[in-house]
Amino acid sequence: MANKKKPAEQPEMIKKGYSANRRMIHVLVAVCLMFLSLVTYLLYFNMFEAREVAANPYNKRQWEDERFVKRGNIYDRDGVLLAETVVDGDNRTRRYPKGNLYSHVIGYYSRVYGKSQLEMAYDKELLGHGDITINFNELRSGYDLNLTIDHDLQQYAYSQLSGRNGAIVALEPATGKVLCMVSYPDFSPNAKTLEQNWSAIVEREDSPLLARATQGLYAPGSTYKIATAAAAYESGRMAETFQDTGVFEQDGMKVANYGEKAYGELGLKRGFELSSNFVFCTLGYEMGAQKVLKKAEDFGINQGFSFDIATSKSRIEYKKMVDADSALVSIGQGQLLMTPLHVAMMGASVANKGKMMQPYLVNSITTASGVTLATTRPSMAYQPMNQECALYLDELMRGVVANGTGTGARISGITVAGKTGTAENETNKDHAWFVGYAPAEDPKIAVAVLLEYDGGAGGSNAAPIARRVMQKYLQ
Amino acid sequence: MTRFRGLNYRRPAYLLMLMNLLGFGLLFVKNGYNLNMLYVGAGLLGLFIFIYSIIVLCNMGDKFIVLMACMLITIGVLLLCRLNLEFGIKQIIWVAVGGVVFFASYLIYYHIRFWHKLWMFYGILGTGLFLATLILGTTVNGSRNWITFGGFSFQPSEITKILFIMLLACYYSGAWEKPLGRITPKWMTLLITYLFIGFLVLQRDWGTILVLFAIYLFMIYVYEKTYGFLLMNLGAASLVAVLGYRFLYHIQVRVSTWMDPWADISNKGYQITQSLFAIASGNYFGRGLGNGSPGYIPEVHSDFIFAAVCEEMGVFGGAAIIILFFLIAYRCFKIAITATEPYDKAVCLGLTLMFAIQTFIIVGGVIKMIPLTGITLPFVSYGGTSIVVNFISLGIIQAISAKEERRGGGKGGK
Repeated sequence: MANKKKPAEQPEMIKKGYSANRRMIHVLVAVCLMFLSLVTYLLYFNMFEAREVAANPYNKRQWEDERFVKRGNIYDRDGVLLAETVVDGDNRTRRYPKGNLYSHVIGYYSRVYGKSQLEMAYDKELLGHGDITINFNELRSGYDLNLTIDHDLQQYAYSQLSGRNGAIVALEPATGKVLCMVSYPDFSPNAKTLEQNWSAIVEREDSPLLARATQGLYAPGSTYKIATAAAAYESGRMAETFQDTGVFEQDGMKVANYGEKAYGELGLKRGFELSSNFVFCTLGYEMGAQKVLKKAEDFGINQGFSFDIATSKSRIEYKKMVDADSALVSIGQGQLLMTPLHVAMMGASVANKGKMMQPYLVNSITTASGVTLATTRPSMAYQPMNQECALYLDELMRGVVANGTGTGARISGITVAGKTGTAENETNKDHAWFVGYAPAEDPKIAVAVLLEYDGGAGGSNAAPIARRVMQKYLQ
Repeated sequence: MTRFRGLNYRRPAYLLMLMNLLGFGLLFVKNGYNLNMLYVGAGLLGLFIFIYSIIVLCNMGDKFIVLMACMLITIGVLLLCRLNLEFGIKQIIWVAVGGVVFFASYLIYYHIRFWHKLWMFYGILGTGLFLATLILGTTVNGSRNWITFGGFSFQPSEITKILFIMLLACYYSGAWEKPLGRITPKWMTLLITYLFIGFLVLQRDWGTILVLFAIYLFMIYVYEKTYGFLLMNLGAASLVAVLGYRFLYHIQVRVSTWMDPWADISNKGYQITQSLFAIASGNYFGRGLGNGSPGYIPEVHSDFIFAAVCEEMGVFGGAAIIILFFLIAYRCFKIAITATEPYDKAVCLGLTLMFAIQTFIIVGGVIKMIPLTGITLPFVSYGGTSIVVNFISLGIIQAISAKEERRGGGKGGK
């Protein structure tokens, strides 16, 4: 057909608009695109999907290294053993001597359901990856993790929750070290028990698999007035007085004080101590949506922070936020949700003179023979306020404990600063909150306590728990 | 084209040797100094040098296509040896047979000049092979496409692919003009295409159906001046595809495991998810030859060998294989475009498309870009019939290239 004898015939054919050779070049281009799409897809898969796919528990490769490696141990900051691997011939059992206590920090390690929390995040280190010694058929040890957690405090905080659903997080304000982090309900991380009870655990209504401290999202209630007060300080409204009628009314929205008390004439400081919704709604409304949102972002809300284990991002979710919404957000309600860890960080940032430190759980990684491979250096995550503002807030928060809603957190001989919260939610049982730190002069510990669907006030139910945790730590 | 004359054809040959030395050297050390690895490597290298020397010395046309095919074979044999030395040794024997067949098909195609008159022979032989498969065939992995006799089994559909291409070339080169009864050759090719596809449906060999039909469509595109016939065939194909999806459970399963293999990992999605695990574990540079666990992947030595390549040689290794196939296709297209004899041109185009489409279908399937249909990856997968048939195809392309080169005194696709 085409191109029968000499290439000289070609120009005529091109004129007619058809040439077999030209069509062949089209096909070549098509083949080229086909191969290009293969390479592109392969690279795309590797860049965006491979990590998740490789971590699937059905991927048997994850368990291969285990045959030659004794998974590393996990210790608290004083060397108390929290997780270890027992080798018995070809069998490896991951043992958690402290039972359920660390199920939301260390997580579980199951061949059927995979890994979670630190077991997942530090899998490579626990397996000793990056170790260049090669010895076949000889059991190698993975690296050990040394946590920032104080086991005694963890145990004590756990006992203080005494079976109530909620979370307690304690931080060292100056460094961001997590001193204790308890979430309840919990579960047994022991692989055998977990595999037997998996469906029951998953189906339980109070979701024991949810790490409330890091992944639970709650309305922070009045504890969020810390951020609002910081914004008010920056707007220079410390000297203002308010005429508290007990009910804030604006744009057809009504917000009452807790217990619908009318406090009459009072300033910002007293309003903070008594946790007046009237005062803070007024401030939030008058500062406007933009300023309130900006301050929230200064505190890392809608921004997130990195942590050793997975966290939910605290957030304010409005399609378009109006000033009435900012009034609600300013008292920690509306579409504002925070994790207990983040609330603790908010308190710790006041204690640390305005610097919000990056929280961390793993203090150092060491080899089995005790050589330290890496130590975490404290770093700042956000600076939500300047030092003067922090000092002002410190004064307000001391007032809350001295003669405000947080007297339940008072410790004799130690100055405590804090803020209570009683957060309304979709049920008629409020969340009880307290966030605080001590000693106020030189803060060593910042604590956030959340009692989920508690029904009581933060000052009466959460504050005493925080007090006992701080007292225990400062002894 | 003449500027390619100066292209150094020795350097890629050295690279091929280096790949062999390093690869088999590594396997030798890795497998506790197993000397068999070295023998296999030496045997393969010897074969390549022998084949390549003859091509260069006898000036048999394009010098790069066979080199690139040898590189693919090397990668395949390395992985097969690493999976199971027995497979590797068998594969080398097939490569040796393939080498002989390569020269035989080269000589036969070069010297016999009446290929374009044999359309009826291709049609009848093809149909005969299909009937034989249906009657004598054994079912492997749900596809009834193997014939076994005397402990020796082969896949007739691999051979039919070449017959089919030669048949299409008869018509599209313009050599077959006489109608058979009242049916013109154009409709005759259409009938035979659909007949072959019908047989393949009975064998449940979906991969080969896709290859044959895609070759047919591309041929129509290249040779039919107007688009009507192409559109008609496309329409018919989509209708058949929709009907097939509605009524054939096999096809529904393939599509649903393609869309979400994770829903049924331990069952229907097992193959493809194991393949994805392997690719995902390899990352960019792979876990290293001998360090991965391709043993978890079902059918890893044949259809899924690409996943094993990605695991041990990384995504870049996989991309390199794709690029090698592209380069082969590119050189073959050049030969097809510069070929002066219409029949040679059509045959060369068909064979090139066969390599390209087959690669696309199986690689795309293994990486879950398109639904998975099991066919072999040319030159890399384990399998006697596949290797031999691919070598026959190469021999034909080589003969066409040599013809042009000798005729045009270098004007041809070198």
